[in-house]
Amino acid sequence: MAQYVLETDGQVCPFPLVEAGDAILKLDLGDELTINFDCTQATDALPRWAAENGYPVTHFDRVGDAHWTITVQKA
Amino acid sequence: MLLTGLGLGVALGFTMQRGRFCVTGAFRDLWITGSTRWLTAFLIVIAVQSVGVFALDAAGVITLDPQPFAWLATILGAFIFGFAIVLAGGCATGTYYRAGEGLVGSWFALIFYALFAAISKTGALSAPVAALRGITVEGSTIHGVLGISPWVLVALLVTGVGLLARYHLRRRSPLTLASLPARTSGIRHLLFEKKWGAFTTALIIAPLAILAWPLSWATGRESGLGVTGPSSNIVNYLVRGDPQAIDWGVYLVIGILLGSFIAARGSGEFRVRLPDATTTIRSIIGGALMGVGASLAGGCTIGNGMVDTATFGLQGWVSLVFMIIGTGAATRLFITGSARVGVSPVRIPVPR
Repeated sequence: MAQYVLETDGQVCPFPLVEAGDAILKLDLGDELTINFDCTQATDALPRWAAENGYPVTHFDRVGDAHWTITVQKA
Repeated sequence: MLLTGLGLGVALGFTMQRGRFCVTGAFRDLWITGSTRWLTAFLIVIAVQSVGVFALDAAGVITLDPQPFAWLATILGAFIFGFAIVLAGGCATGTYYRAGEGLVGSWFALIFYALFAAISKTGALSAPVAALRGITVEGSTIHGVLGISPWVLVALLVTGVGLLARYHLRRRSPLTLASLPARTSGIRHLLFEKKWGAFTTALIIAPLAILAWPLSWATGRESGLGVTGPSSNIVNYLVRGDPQAIDWGVYLVIGILLGSFIAARGSGEFRVRLPDATTTIRSIIGGALMGVGASLAGGCTIGNGMVDTATFGLQGWVSLVFMIIGTGAATRLFITGSARVGVSPVRIPVPR
């Protein structure tokens, strides 16, 4: 059960989603991946991606103006 | 009367920002995940708008006047435009509303898009663009070619899109999506915080697109929503000082920028965001190609893809198909393919 952080600030959509999809493949079951992002559209795309893949979202919040963080667990 | 363009633009920019309405994303999803959710939202706008447009035409409020179909320029231009919007990170309206969110990459894309639209329409490239657009075929609309009433097509489109929307709504129910914690309530929550659904957003944009026709018509600009022409007009006004260039469409696009800024600011989603070198170069090349492509095709994702399609113009539908193909080519190259460069993230294991 490790935790990983993926920094995608400055990347425009769909890169946060594409990178998150790549990153989670490298993780073990139960590991948590925190994705920090500042692309507005990803506030829609990332939770949907998590739900469609069956990854529980353990944390999702704003960090500041146009800054968000979401943590999903590989399941 | 020109000010109605500004008002409509503000409403449109606001809705697109809050709804995260991105046509580039809708086309791109087809190639990355195969999802048709956003494309369905886009088709809802076309279908609802087609009902309104032909009703306005029948009522004599507007008079649709289809032009001969410039097939070669449309195919070429639409492919170039579809390719370019992936590089620029948004189509024409997408770029306007992201510019309003503070994305400096979109500012670059916007400037080069408007500049190259002007170069292609009235500047150094206007002769070859006009020559290519001179290659036409007789037909101009689908119902004209088939010799049927446009209402048959309206009925078919509305039914088809309705079924597609129903499929997505049924499929959605078992999914619970994580959402951001609420900080506000009431009307403020509804306007600036609550997540707007894709289809809700489409159902707000559609009446705005219908309303654009009579409002624009009243000022002598005889068309619906459009972005490329007005962007080119802004450049012409700025460099030549020609006040005639300022039309309803110019107010509209300035309104989109303003509306998106208001929405982003109000929801804490505005921040000046600097792109890296790769993204900057892509935004500039993408913006320039968008200007050329849209001028060749006679419209962008809005003018052709969302408005001309609603009138069942051949230019609109052929354009829509080739924009999607162009988006697919660029997606394969720059997003899922080997040319994905410089954005590899750092992964930091955090000890527990």
